Amino acid sequence: MKLKSDVNDNDLLRLMLAGDEEALALLYRRRQGSVYRFALQMSGSRSIAEDVTQEVFLFLMREGHVFDDSKGTVGAFLLGVARVHVRRRLRAEHRLEPLGDDAEDDDVFMQSATDVCPLEDLTRAETIESVRKAVLSLPPKYREVVVLCELQDVSYGETAEILGCAIGTVRSRLHRGRALLLAKLRPAADVEETGATTVRCFA
Amino acid sequence: MNCQRFETVVSELARGQMMAAELRTEALAHSDICDDCAARLGDEQMLTLGLQSLASELESLEAPRELEAKLLEAFRARTVVVPIAKRSNSRYWLAAIAAMLLIAISVVAFRWSNRQGDEPREAIKQEQPKPDVSNKSTEQLAQDVEKPPVEDSLPQQWKPKRVHPVTLRRPNNAAVANHVTKEIATDFIPLSYMSPASLQEGGQIIRVQVPRSALANFGLPVNMDRYNEKVKADVLYGVDGMARAIRFVQ
Repeated sequence: MKLKSDVNDNDLLRLMLAGDEEALALLYRRRQGSVYRFALQMSGSRSIAEDVTQEVFLFLMREGHVFDDSKGTVGAFLLGVARVHVRRRLRAEHRLEPLGDDAEDDDVFMQSATDVCPLEDLTRAETIESVRKAVLSLPPKYREVVVLCELQDVSYGETAEILGCAIGTVRSRLHRGRALLLAKLRPAADVEETGATTVRCFA
Repeated sequence: MNCQRFETVVSELARGQMMAAELRTEALAHSDICDDCAARLGDEQMLTLGLQSLASELESLEAPRELEAKLLEAFRARTVVVPIAKRSNSRYWLAAIAAMLLIAISVVAFRWSNRQGDEPREAIKQEQPKPDVSNKSTEQLAQDVEKPPVEDSLPQQWKPKRVHPVTLRRPNNAAVANHVTKEIATDFIPLSYMSPASLQEGGQIIRVQVPRSALANFGLPVNMDRYNEKVKADVLYGVDGMARAIRFVQ
């Protein structure tokens, strides 16, 4: 049987669990990009991103029956699994502080990823590289939200499903993550001059 | 709108997120009159642009093609494994049935051997007097209760599941003394000038009832509402028949 591309993810998953190889292939082609990019943006490593993508779909083959469509979409489920695997890999490689640790927030807030101001006059490629580095240097819990909401264009609701938290938490983490990014991308001299990241005028 | 309020909406504004039209107008109007907030909005917009550029740069990235082939291969291998798994399941079933038969035979044999051994045991039981529980001290009784049951000696797989583990506490000395009647007693109060040595020879305790007012004679508090009631007391008599001490019991 030739599967049509308009078959939804839930049906593809069900067919795959019943042993349909074509369903797996179609589901993989449809979802591998977002899983791979998420892992890459979270880790900054192609090899980790490849491994994570493979582990996510192997997990889907073995444990796909645990997916509950009343709790979210297949896409969100896959990104949630990817998130767990990325965290595990990075923790194993000592490249990531444990999630939920807030101690580092204030330290990185004042660090600058670059001495120049990419927001103003650098070339596009340099800007992209600076932003990429700044995103990678964010504390994990903010990085996740920035990657999902800003780079993957996932909605607040779906991000909340993936992270297992409230939408309000997603909003506040995104706000904080963006503030951290700005602080990193702003030249150190500018920070010293103003002495603060934001100035209240109460006008 | 003030700067504090502006700060809460500036990210949404810069990202072009859906927001109330009125709020958006107010925020933009505020940025027109406040230079700092205008700069802040400019930064946020630049950041949004930077992130969008990064996102579009990464948009075309995909996992290597060979990964799909590997996964499909793994999927096929998993499918092939199924009949093998079924065959091994039938082996497990056979083993389980054999084990159950073995257990059943063991149980029958064990009961049969017990039945044969029970006849002489019953004869011995009839000859042996039952242990007199009443003569046992409280501690001995407690120890008897605390002895591990036979189940504890059984291998783990034979032990019955305990529903509610009950811990037996060893009673303290006062509780041991009064465990039968649940009585509360005062210490013995001497009735005459005597040395404790005089009780070494032995004595006798006799339970009596005395008026509650007698408590006052020994400096104990008396409930005036129950003044006319009697109170129990143990009187300790020496071998000479003289009352030596008294204690009050409730």
